[in-house]
Amino acid sequence: MANHRVGETGLTDSGPSNHHHHIPYAHVLHGMNAPTSFLHQEGAAFDFGELEEAIVLQGVKFRNDNEAKPPLFTTPRPAATLDMFPSWPMRFHQTPRQGSSKSGDEISTEDSESAVNTLSSNKTENNQLEPESPISKKASSFDHKPLQQQQQQHLQHLQQLQQQQIDQMASDNSRTGTTSQQQNQSASAAKTTPQEKRRGSTSEKQLDAKTLRRLAQNREAARKSRLRKKAYVQQLESSRIKLTQLEQELQRARSQGLFLGGCGGAAGNISSGAAIFDMEYSRWLEDDQRHMSELRTGLHAHLSDSDLRVIVDGYISHYDEIFRLKGVAAKSDVFHLITGMWTTPAERCFLWMGGFRPSELIKMLISQLDPLTEQQVMGIYSLQHSSTQAEEALSQGLEQLQQSLIDTIAGGPVIDGMQQMAVALAKLANLESFIRQADNLRQQTLHQLPRILTVRQAARCFLVIGEYYARLRALSSLWSSRPRE
Amino acid sequence: MPMGSDPMERVVKLASESAIVIFSVSSCCMCHAVKRLFCGMGVNPTVYELDQDPRGKDMERALMRLLGNPQAVPVVFIGGKLIGSMDRVMASHINGTLVPLLKEAGALWL
Repeated sequence: MANHRVGETGLTDSGPSNHHHHIPYAHVLHGMNAPTSFLHQEGAAFDFGELEEAIVLQGVKFRNDNEAKPPLFTTPRPAATLDMFPSWPMRFHQTPRQGSSKSGDEISTEDSESAVNTLSSNKTENNQLEPESPISKKASSFDHKPLQQQQQQHLQHLQQLQQQQIDQMASDNSRTGTTSQQQNQSASAAKTTPQEKRRGSTSEKQLDAKTLRRLAQNREAARKSRLRKKAYVQQLESSRIKLTQLEQELQRARSQGLFLGGCGGAAGNISSGAAIFDMEYSRWLEDDQRHMSELRTGLHAHLSDSDLRVIVDGYISHYDEIFRLKGVAAKSDVFHLITGMWTTPAERCFLWMGGFRPSELIKMLISQLDPLTEQQVMGIYSLQHSSTQAEEALSQGLEQLQQSLIDTIAGGPVIDGMQQMAVALAKLANLESFIRQADNLRQQTLHQLPRILTVRQAARCFLVIGEYYARLRALSSLWSSRPRE
Repeated sequence: MPMGSDPMERVVKLASESAIVIFSVSSCCMCHAVKRLFCGMGVNPTVYELDQDPRGKDMERALMRLLGNPQAVPVVFIGGKLIGSMDRVMASHINGTLVPLLKEAGALWL
């Protein structure tokens, strides 16, 4: 039936989206036929409050008609169906003409066919019987005029109509299935029963529970659909942004020679987990610069200890974040972390288990952190000592893993290659836990520093750490871009 | 002393018998790492290789439940008290609480 409708008016219909809008258009169209108000009305008493609400909503609807997503009372079609005829979904949710044709003002759940029939008949009737009606005139003109024009016209007409309806309503308390159109009509034509067939006629006050529920469900479904669509679009948008960032990263990385020479097409060989981590890491590096300038200005500005503490804690959280990201990356591509392909060549040179060696960092710091109290000196040396021991233990554990792997792969004649491979794979899986433990050690070491140092010392300490690695990265860049003979 | 048939009971019992107890699996490399850690500190832990114990499987399962972790080993007890897996042991060493615990349990004299 909706199809008929479209055909008749020659207006385009935003096809599939129709299905998202289950609000009976005609209901909206006919002034006080805002479904909610409609549904709430019972009996003969007319609620002016609801009428006003409906009118307001209609106004909103009309304004939104040209937008993609009109609120509440939406219709996929533009003002097109501004007339009394329901839009597509209507046939499933609209009250049938036949409801109105029964002068019982009953809005019953309808079936599409009858709706179709009534629709077309309505239109015909409308044109035939109510030639004076601005809407009927409108209806016929719809077929020929451009959409915008029709919309504007409709808006005007409807506003007139609404006023007329108000007047009509005021004077006629007993709803006997008068449609808005009819109200505009001269009495005879307007009140005739066949006119009741008009869809969503204002006269229909009584809706049975089933229709009420259905209408409410449709509204809900429409709303959910809109939300889903919005979420999906947002997802697409962020994916698109991520994609361009990723591409930029690869571009940058390639030009900086991060990918070793041996793999010219290395960019194509990078796993998705690794690519994602690389992108997140470069973002982390940008954050790192921000944190460092915060530390710098905080120290120079001689902030209070509590203010400085906030900045220091922020820097620790910043490192917590990269360890978290590395944990995720280790699950998908532990080799990427172990080989250090995510870092610069100079950093890679000093790599230990997929990252910096904590004892080396402490050693570097000791000379930079004077003056320290005796207790602090003991604390720092103790930290260096325990981290060295932990590194040793992990290194030895990893060595045993490597040896075990070699034994598995190299072992004897290949009687059962697949079995051998399966065992080797299982052993290889332990790599992830070693990288996790190494990152854990790094994280614990960084957390321990502010416990030994004062706030100002800790701020200076983290600034030193940040600057140290920034220089190492800069060294890598300079090295890779140096003129070669 | 009656030997409890409950594997968790056995774990607790064994853990309280020595100053420092490690439950391990002989082929596990992380277990090797934690053993090396204590040896490097001059500590001599009592190690139970669950893959070499007839009730080892049950004890391993009990430890899994205790830790809430599919990775049951290595797990360390000091002075009969549960310290945890490798990450907890290392965190404890870095923040300086491990050595006092070892001394208190009599596992370390320095």
